[in-house]
Amino acid sequence: MTRLPRSSALRIDTDRRLRFSWCGSARAGYEGDTVASALWSSGVRTFGRSFEYHRPRGLYDLEGEGASQLVSIDGVPNQSAGTTLLREGMAVAAQNVRGDPRSDAFGFLDRLDRWMPAGFYYRVFHRPHAAAHFVHNRMRAMAGLGILDVSTSGDPGRREEIFLNADVAVIGGGAAGMRAALAAAGAGTRVCLFERRPWLGGHLDWRLGLEGADGPDSPRARGRALAEHVGSDARIRVFTSAPVTGIWGENLVTGFQRVGAADPFVERHWECRARTIVVATGALERPLVFNHNDRPGVMQADTAWRLARTYGVSPGAVVVFSAGDDLALEAALDLLSLGVDVPAIADSRPEGQDPELVSRIAESGAELLTGWAASQVVGRRVVRGVQLAEIGGSTRREFPCDVVVANAGRQPDIGALSCAGARFRHSTHTGSFELASLPSDVFAAGRVLGLTDSVEIEATGTLAGLEAASACGASVSGTLAAARAEVAEGAGAPPGTGIVRGPDIGEGRKAFLDYDEDGTWKNAVQCAALGFDVPELAKRFGNFGLGPGQYRVPGQNVAMAMAEIEGRPASDVASTTVRPPIIPPSLATLAGPNHDVHKRTPLHEDQAARGGVFRRAGAWKRARYFSADYTCREEIRNVRENVGLLDSSPLGKFRIWGPHALHALQRVYISDMRKATRGRCKYSAMCNDTGNVVDDGVVIPVGEDDYYFTTSSNRAGSTVEWFRYHTRYDGWDYNLLNLTDALASINLAGPEARAVLERVTDADLSNDAFPYLGYRVIPVGDGVEARCMRLGFVGELSYELHVGASYAQYAWDLLWDAGAELGIRPFGLEAQYCMRAEKGHVIIGAESEQRVTLLDIGMGWLWDRSDTASKKVGAPALRACEEQDGRLELVGLRIDDAGHRPEDGAIVVDGDRIAGYVCTTRVSGALGYQYGLALVEEGFAVEGTTLSIYEHLRSDDVRTSATVVPPHFYDPKGERLRV
Amino acid sequence: MSVFRPGFLELGRLWETKPLERNYEVVIVGGGIHGLATAYYLAKEHGIRDVAVLEREYIGFGGSGRNTAIVRANQRTQENVRLYDEGLKLWPVLTDELDFNLMFYNCGNLNLAHSEAAVSSFRLAINTANFYGVRSELLDPQQCKEVVPALDISDRPKHPIQAGMYHPPGGVVRHDAVVWGLAKGASAHGVAIHQGVGVEGIDVDGGRITGVRTSEGRIGCDKLGIMAGGYGTAVCAMLDIELPVNPLTIQAMVTQPLKPFLHHVVSSGAYHVYANQTLKGEIATGAHMDPQVNYTTDVTAYYFKHQAEALTDFMPCLKDVRFLRIWAGLADMTPDMAPILDGNFAYDGLYLDVGWGYFGFKSGPITGKYMADFIAREEAPEILRPFALRRFLENRYMGETATAMKYGQWD
Repeated sequence: MTRLPRSSALRIDTDRRLRFSWCGSARAGYEGDTVASALWSSGVRTFGRSFEYHRPRGLYDLEGEGASQLVSIDGVPNQSAGTTLLREGMAVAAQNVRGDPRSDAFGFLDRLDRWMPAGFYYRVFHRPHAAAHFVHNRMRAMAGLGILDVSTSGDPGRREEIFLNADVAVIGGGAAGMRAALAAAGAGTRVCLFERRPWLGGHLDWRLGLEGADGPDSPRARGRALAEHVGSDARIRVFTSAPVTGIWGENLVTGFQRVGAADPFVERHWECRARTIVVATGALERPLVFNHNDRPGVMQADTAWRLARTYGVSPGAVVVFSAGDDLALEAALDLLSLGVDVPAIADSRPEGQDPELVSRIAESGAELLTGWAASQVVGRRVVRGVQLAEIGGSTRREFPCDVVVANAGRQPDIGALSCAGARFRHSTHTGSFELASLPSDVFAAGRVLGLTDSVEIEATGTLAGLEAASACGASVSGTLAAARAEVAEGAGAPPGTGIVRGPDIGEGRKAFLDYDEDGTWKNAVQCAALGFDVPELAKRFGNFGLGPGQYRVPGQNVAMAMAEIEGRPASDVASTTVRPPIIPPSLATLAGPNHDVHKRTPLHEDQAARGGVFRRAGAWKRARYFSADYTCREEIRNVRENVGLLDSSPLGKFRIWGPHALHALQRVYISDMRKATRGRCKYSAMCNDTGNVVDDGVVIPVGEDDYYFTTSSNRAGSTVEWFRYHTRYDGWDYNLLNLTDALASINLAGPEARAVLERVTDADLSNDAFPYLGYRVIPVGDGVEARCMRLGFVGELSYELHVGASYAQYAWDLLWDAGAELGIRPFGLEAQYCMRAEKGHVIIGAESEQRVTLLDIGMGWLWDRSDTASKKVGAPALRACEEQDGRLELVGLRIDDAGHRPEDGAIVVDGDRIAGYVCTTRVSGALGYQYGLALVEEGFAVEGTTLSIYEHLRSDDVRTSATVVPPHFYDPKGERLRV
Repeated sequence: MSVFRPGFLELGRLWETKPLERNYEVVIVGGGIHGLATAYYLAKEHGIRDVAVLEREYIGFGGSGRNTAIVRANQRTQENVRLYDEGLKLWPVLTDELDFNLMFYNCGNLNLAHSEAAVSSFRLAINTANFYGVRSELLDPQQCKEVVPALDISDRPKHPIQAGMYHPPGGVVRHDAVVWGLAKGASAHGVAIHQGVGVEGIDVDGGRITGVRTSEGRIGCDKLGIMAGGYGTAVCAMLDIELPVNPLTIQAMVTQPLKPFLHHVVSSGAYHVYANQTLKGEIATGAHMDPQVNYTTDVTAYYFKHQAEALTDFMPCLKDVRFLRIWAGLADMTPDMAPILDGNFAYDGLYLDVGWGYFGFKSGPITGKYMADFIAREEAPEILRPFALRRFLENRYMGETATAMKYGQWD
């Protein structure tokens, strides 16, 4: 391992050696290394192969910006080598390779580029159609980067989620962000500061100053001092290793946090609701597009610099620069000071360099070529040299080297600002994008504004922090004016060239705008020639900026390149929208604990102990079966012949009272609710505006202008709003209370139901005292009050008891004990479903759908058609549909073929068309035959009609027939309910 | 130039840019798949070449470029199955006609059921499909796992898998390619495609459409097709026509690219998820709609998180995968989940192709074909008749879902 001399900027602990493997071979690094720095220091130059051409790719950036540095770690694909910290024992491997990444079997694809112009796959391989599928599958097999093991259940580590609240959220912990945080905190606001790197300080962290000595005035010392201030301010919560994924509506900032081994969680998802946001995300290097600019060994200036200073790794033996800004010149000088051989520095700017940097370079012996840029890399598998060219001239010079540092200057990292809704325009002054507008309560500071002067960077940070605090209501009037004045005095963003490409691009076959998906300059030219002149279209057709690095690496280059190719002025260029995530989070972290949120009845545990098989039903988990026999034969038989218990607690339960309660009931129920009388359940239904039944239940007057009513379980959640919505213009005075969760409901059903209930209550349950459809409040056990209704949904003598939820288990146990000798057993939803179907009782969603009205399903008798004054919901539609032809109607079915019973969802056919469908069929033990309910066109709804039924079962067409009968099979006169 | 030079290396504009004329026989509002397909078929099959497609942004800006590219024909009702089935069969034909690879990947769709009620509704769709010759099969959980090995078929997930509806004829088509291919085809037949021209008003005279007012001035026309996707309601509002359509935001996202492991479209109503692996290897996945009516294409942290929760619950191997990008589009929802295809109903010369909700992509070219026929002959083709607007006046919903869709304050 070659490491440079130690310096104060080092972020590794050279006393703690970590072993890992690369493609199976043993390697080592140090605590604090990222996977990328450890690989580079151990001599690895080729990290993987590119997406389309399978070109070798190395370490271009350390920020996790693109596909080139994605590796597989411990079998997990697409991990960022640049940002993942090295751990002991890691198994790291290259992606998109067959064999060794240095000699990939698909490397030949690189020579086929002539036959692969932009979007070529849209224009070949589609004929003949039979071959197209084959080619498509071959292309699919070639695509993708990492390999996912589908047999794993993913990373088993626990993920935490935290929900923060801040006056000011500061994104970016560089100088500007830290100054913003300090200023905002100083004004008395609560600040959350998010930094994606493991430390604060931004790009100051690896800048030791031109003396290279980390003196008290060095940028790094300044960064450390600010970080200490921030760390000691109790009003600032600092989150490091915490990349932001997005800024969403209402200033919601989200992200994740990578945590160390000491943390009980493996990663953390965080969301911060902020009143204001300061974005200080800094700048990204704008890549220089030149021939073979993707060879392993071509890297960003900050990559080379950070390898040297942060990780103590020499970027290479001989490093040639093609710079676009002063920071890159400073990086070159710093490498020189560390003893790295830097023979030549091209600078694409013809003038405007910091004179001190120029004179120091001259002193160093390195050759500075202003107005020059890299034109071509020499070397096939790795960099062996670089050709530098005079921009606009014909002079070319070749330098042997193993690393080429290249950039075309810097571009603001617009990701977070763009997500927040900021707009950008191209500036001919900076040759880059500049902020055009900011949304309210979002402020920007530092290098994201194009600034490079450290005083100005900090001044804008202070100003943004004060503005944010001011927007939160803090009093900052004096300091704000001073901060504004200081920023106004600054020189602003320095000029830039706006150059995108090296001088010889026209001849080059492989000059990459987008490394992630192998989008070349030539592809951009082809896009324009094919008519994809809108950047958004070129982006899609040519695959620019859609890979793992998203907007970062191709960044503004694509739009600027398209403008140049089409001869449009650069000022025309618009940035495309950056879409979240800014940094990609793993699905596991985003999902967090992923709680299974559902409601349970108070009797859940008891039913589970009795063998209940639960299913999700809306918001609830409910017992659907009590044995493995899903036909529920025994459950049904026991109710029909004996007595059963059903937990119906999710049933909607409501109290409505007040002077206009009846008005409201008249509005939403389709019947004349004035006829509801005390002590008696009034059954009715609610329709929607198109006459579909949306709910049914019973209404019971329980006092003066005071009613108790029930709804189906599914409607319990929306009933209050339904009432309010449909009475919103009336100004009626009524109160409506949802008691669904406050009261449990237990159904006791079967011929022995009365005998059981009599054992737990003193109330008179005789048929005269408590008849069918009666409602009584009765004491059970030690005097627990139960609202008791005598109903018959399943077609037997039955009582529905509503008790306070906390008494549910007590009442259930009482009934259970009382029924023990009588053979009481629980029954579930499926048994109830079958028994009610035998009765022809409709379940909404099963036998009622959007094509049928109340009238179509035989419930028209509920409708009080004389009442127009109440403006009943659905009545106009019912009136309009009443005489319509060709509607579906609900019928009963008696299935002729005793051998095969069509299943729910079978269709009723008429020649070559469909005339309806079978909603529900079951075999009835009680009836002794197969029956069903169906919706059929009215012509087929006549009793005695033979229906032709079609099903597709296990690849076979099966036809059966059934006879239309009235939809009341079991005890059609209802005698069993009334015993 | 060598005679052996393959056509795909030639670099001519795929579609021409033409000067904006002041008058066209037919003006189509909306340069998405429906508008471009209608224009293409008008010119190709009916010889009506004096057609302009007006697109406010760029072609494919709206739903055509934002959907998750899934195609299928396993609808609930016979009227829809017939149309979508024809649509499915059109992809290879269109690929050949346009000489443009639409990348129809006939991988089949697996839709998951997590309740007994959902299994019943699958049976209805399967029976309806097969009755019309469209393949669709009910699979048990083990068979689902054989088709999509990434599924967790145990009882652990929030919504355990009870069955699957496997529909082999479906798959994915490269949505952008359809836009570009249709633009190429339409342009080759003489259609004028105008990007950056927004419609601001519609002129009528004596019950007839006479033209549109645009950002580039007035353009006269005899016939006007409104095929503006999620913005269809806004365009119809210019004629004071209020449609039973709610535009809702619907979000989608992709993960980082992975080597192929998901070889089918997989979807689940209970999880509000549909997912497929693109040709590039990304998992493209769509979410449920935002419940409030709006015209924005804002993305939300809620669905970003929800989608991760849902996907990792029934396909746990995705836990370590990272989301790369989220975006949103508009879905123009009708209460019965079926579109409104109508013509000459409020004004002579007015044709409407709106309300597709999130089914607009798979139906695009076939609807364009029949809408062109409608516009050319001024009479609704039989297959489109059930989709007329008046079904809402008559309370005759089409039943593409069991329960009518309702958006607003309380649903």
